[in-house]
Amino acid sequence: MALLETKSLTKSFGALTAVKDVSLSIEAGSLHSIIGPNGAGKTTLFNLLTGTFPPTSGRIFFDQKDITGTPANRIAHLGLARSFQRTNVFPAFSLLDNVWVAAFATGRSWNGLLFRKTDRYSEVMERARAALSDVGLLDKANHLAREISHGEQRQLELAIALAAAPRVLLLDEPAAGLSPEETRRMVALVRGLKGRYTIVLIEHKMDIIMSVSDRISVMHFGSLIAEGAPEEIQRNAEVRRAYLGGIAA
Amino acid sequence: MKYQNILLVAAVIALPFIVRPVIASEIWIFAIFGLGLNLLLGYTGLLSFGQSTFFGSAAYVAGWLLKHYGINVFFALGIGVGVGALSALLVGYLCVQRSGLYFIMLTFALNQLFYFVAYQWTTVTGGEDGMHGVPRPDLLGINFKDPMTYYVFISLLFLLSLWAMRRIVESPLGRILQAIRENEVRAEAVGYNVPRFKLLAFVIGGAFSGLAGVLYGMLFGIVPLEAISFVFSGNVVFATLIGGSGSLYGPIIGSFVFIWLSESVSVIWARWPLLLGVAFVIVVLFFRGGVVEAWTRLLKWHSSRQKASQSPSAP
Repeated sequence: MALLETKSLTKSFGALTAVKDVSLSIEAGSLHSIIGPNGAGKTTLFNLLTGTFPPTSGRIFFDQKDITGTPANRIAHLGLARSFQRTNVFPAFSLLDNVWVAAFATGRSWNGLLFRKTDRYSEVMERARAALSDVGLLDKANHLAREISHGEQRQLELAIALAAAPRVLLLDEPAAGLSPEETRRMVALVRGLKGRYTIVLIEHKMDIIMSVSDRISVMHFGSLIAEGAPEEIQRNAEVRRAYLGGIAA
Repeated sequence: MKYQNILLVAAVIALPFIVRPVIASEIWIFAIFGLGLNLLLGYTGLLSFGQSTFFGSAAYVAGWLLKHYGINVFFALGIGVGVGALSALLVGYLCVQRSGLYFIMLTFALNQLFYFVAYQWTTVTGGEDGMHGVPRPDLLGINFKDPMTYYVFISLLFLLSLWAMRRIVESPLGRILQAIRENEVRAEAVGYNVPRFKLLAFVIGGAFSGLAGVLYGMLFGIVPLEAISFVFSGNVVFATLIGGSGSLYGPIIGSFVFIWLSESVSVIWARWPLLLGVAFVIVVLFFRGGVVEAWTRLLKWHSSRQKASQSPSAP
């Protein structure tokens, strides 16, 4: 059953059509990757799915409900959480506070919003600590986000998304700018999350994509040009052309 | 009890014996005003150059009711808090639609709008002459005409305001506002309606400003036109930055420095704003966190020196 679906999704910025007539169907519990050369429209697609801006045309369905045009701040409450391609955390906050803020947003109740102490929300705190522990940063919970390494910031980026206890995780290049060693750790992390969440993954590194994905969609100049299991995509001539600029053809 | 609390209570007790009770009262009133601004400036990262809109509106409305309808002090304070919050809701709603420089200019422009309404509406506000004859009625049989008694009342309200503000900044709301300051895009993405939270910060800040405004009117028996002018809005920003916008206590220290300088040095030297200017330049260049940061750095430096002198030195 499809948990997240798009129907003929299109986004134009003036004369540029960044996403063109994209119809996707993400199966519940799967890890679905979206690949494509730089500028193919992958991040724009994510921005559409998470309500950063509304589509020019087309519709988005989550759990059979039409969520087209839902603003970004409501999306997390529906059960969709994203991580960003460029590290996008709260720099002056401790790691725990970073995830706490995300966990509180989707918490059971906002009672005491104006006067109760933040450490009195045990359910939120548990979820925050669990998210840090999932990415292996619990021992650094009290460090400031701006003082940890880039690799750890990427892990924190993921933890903030996890803290919302989402049904769908949208990961935008979680391994961007990581060393080979850090990349291996991130791949292991994402693999560990597989099955617990429905995951939509944007990634450039082919070896990661091929080893973790259940399904792959390929974008090129805003359109979907192929979709299938990893082996099918590897054999697909059109995909090779898109990536190698026609040399392989 | 933390040492800050002890220091604060000591300051509240000692202050009216160091400076005149009226000045001491003004310091705590300005501190309440600063607490409200700092929720916006220090915690949410919003530079509002229009805080006197709420301060002045509350002072005028409550002053008018005190003068013509003889309402009691608690009612006047309640009205002040209400008018402060309501005017902040109105102004804030318009301002939070924009960010950065446009936001600042909007707070400023709307302040000017309120200012000119007060300037023109002479039958109510007294225009340039100010609203004279704001009474300070007795409360529960206590005579507030006595400056010292009124000082005690004001300092209690100040401590209450500080306690309330501390609860707010230590609550989820406080953390959410700081998250907005740190990263607006991410705060929105994790599920917060950022403009609405900014508006909430405005309303709370406005309520504090309103309380300060009414106390100010009753302290001097007049609501001067300056109370709603951009100069007043600038002063509270100035004072808060000098004290340190990064901490809860910053605006309190800033208010102390600002009022004390303006009331005592101004008598000796008419060019006293020059001193403020120098203080401001020093803060901006060396201590972004204001007096509070200067103090914590001094403590750190002192303890590191002590450590160095304790460790055995080479022969």
